[in-house]
Amino acid sequence: MDKELLKELCLINGTSGDEDKVREYIISKIKDFCEYKVDPLGNIIAEKKGADRAKNKVMISAHMDEVGMIVTSVKADGTLTLSAVGGIDPRVAIGRPVVVGESGLCGVIGSKAVHNMTDEEKKTAPKFSTIYADIGAADKAEAEKYVQLGDRVYFKSGFEITENGFVSGKAIDDRFGCAAMIEMIRSELPYDCTFTFVVQEEVGLRGSRTAAFTVDPDLAIVLESTTAADIPLAEGEKRCCELGKGAVVSYMDRSTIYDKELYRLSAEIASEKGIGRQTKTMVAGGNDSGAIHISKGGVRTIAISAPCRYLHSPVCAARLSDLKDCEKLAAAMLEKMCQL
Amino acid sequence: MDLEKTIMSLCLAKGVSGDESEAAELAISMLKEYTDDCYIKNGNVIGHFGAKGKKPHVLIDAHIDQIGLVVTHITEEGFLKVSNCGGIDRRILAAQQVIVMGKVPVNGVICSVPPHLETDESKVPEMSDICIDVGMSKEQAEQVISLGDKIVFTPHCEKLLGDRISGTSLDDRCGVAAVLRAMDIVKEKTLQCEVTVLLSTQEEVGERGAKIAAFDIEPDIALAVDVSFALTSDDSELKCGKMGKGCMIGFAPSLDRELSKQFKEIAERNELPYQIEVMNGSTGTNADRFSVNKGGAKAVTLSVPLKYMHTPAEVISVSDVENTARLIAAYLEEVK
Repeated sequence: MDKELLKELCLINGTSGDEDKVREYIISKIKDFCEYKVDPLGNIIAEKKGADRAKNKVMISAHMDEVGMIVTSVKADGTLTLSAVGGIDPRVAIGRPVVVGESGLCGVIGSKAVHNMTDEEKKTAPKFSTIYADIGAADKAEAEKYVQLGDRVYFKSGFEITENGFVSGKAIDDRFGCAAMIEMIRSELPYDCTFTFVVQEEVGLRGSRTAAFTVDPDLAIVLESTTAADIPLAEGEKRCCELGKGAVVSYMDRSTIYDKELYRLSAEIASEKGIGRQTKTMVAGGNDSGAIHISKGGVRTIAISAPCRYLHSPVCAARLSDLKDCEKLAAAMLEKMCQL
Repeated sequence: MDLEKTIMSLCLAKGVSGDESEAAELAISMLKEYTDDCYIKNGNVIGHFGAKGKKPHVLIDAHIDQIGLVVTHITEEGFLKVSNCGGIDRRILAAQQVIVMGKVPVNGVICSVPPHLETDESKVPEMSDICIDVGMSKEQAEQVISLGDKIVFTPHCEKLLGDRISGTSLDDRCGVAAVLRAMDIVKEKTLQCEVTVLLSTQEEVGERGAKIAAFDIEPDIALAVDVSFALTSDDSELKCGKMGKGCMIGFAPSLDRELSKQFKEIAERNELPYQIEVMNGSTGTNADRFSVNKGGAKAVTLSVPLKYMHTPAEVISVSDVENTARLIAAYLEEVK
């Protein structure tokens, strides 16, 4: 995994419907290594030539968007009301700096001083209906000079990869998948295949739906990040999956029952090649597979995911060794699936 | 001096109560611009000005510490359990980036409960449920982190619109900046009495630095320069001042009424914007310690209005800091 590439991708702001900067960055990295086009929703569909022609058409997909917020109104005092874009727990939204709009204005999502709260208020988590962003505007008129309704609001978080391979920062979901696909496109592949960098996963698997229709693949691999709950607050099967145990391959989640043969194949390949692989101990979550596997007459689909703590928060945490396992497993699966 | 730059650099220095040295070292380097007679004693930064021994002896204080967390336990899996250092709002902790002040600074993130495990989104975690992920095994963590190490919200400071600034520890680094700016304004003037500047430790855990420093300094008059609540839409006008409307001068049973009135009168005479902050007993600031130090002192609070107090996203207006500094300077020029 190219650490710089991952860092640069994660630090770009691009929530659902606002993926332009992510797309521009990806295109700048892949344009000399494949043929690509951008579809009406903003998906990148890239055709990569391999050493040989594939027996099956295989599509490999990752989403460009991340969760964020959107400005819904400007209040009389110049603060901005917000809605979530994608699944954000409002409890991770308050008390932190944010970036607002295309010009990247600095702001904060504050909270009334704890000193002035009633005991009941101290014990009650905020809701999106009660939180607001403050850009320092003195009043509504000043705020409206700088902000338009529909502007996006992003968490401002640092990104770090430590020496022992601990990765933390925003948007690892799913810039990790984008980074892995960029690296595959820039490498020599054994067979032709199609890469899709899709939009709007976080608001209902929308980009992958049109991309899968256009590409019309026989088989698909979704490269994702998935919730790991290996933290002191969870035990046993509630941990879902764990950091450091390798690529996560699910048999079923809330959007897809995965192709049984591909699921078994992933286990065989992983054990044969010594690649870390685990499965989820809960049926939870979902990803673009949900749209892709029922595209047209059906697409045999598998998802390979990096286990990631604190998903959909301003700071996700992952382990480099798992990202590498995902990349290795994806490359090996791709080669097999082209010739199944 | 460039006030905005001063506030922002003070805000980026780390200094949780009891571990203020980084912030204190930065502050004393700034104070040295105005006096050679300054030092750090028991963590408190102390600087002497004016006519030594001449009454009244005026103390100008701002606290150097900030709220944070402290490591209490390292779990078998390498997560850190913590307790609070100062008044923490538990609602804002999940998924915050932090720095553990270990043998070397260690970046971490406060664990948040993933949605699939949480049926009740209105729940606020207890402090005993809070843990910090530093991405290390217990063995790795123990090599660099010890129980008792302080944890600070990863410092940041940004300019917002107009003259507003957001940052992690504006409470009370903007007060420190106001004191420094006041000394900058009077640096060419001959002060008629003894003045001591105190940048005190451990305010957030019970004004302890102020207590021991006041014992040594024995002031006759004490100005506690701190922050107070600026009105936001979710708070009450009865408890809050307004951002951008100047220094909040305290009136309270525990403060000296004549001193409070004197500051109001000086503000009016010098056409400095000000607001009156009425409190009904003690003040929750270092003034509470100064007024009952030894045989007693006359104390007043001078507060910079601040939004979102005790979150890592506090907001102030630089003009309020400037106006607080000018008010202090105007007082120093006439006090005898």
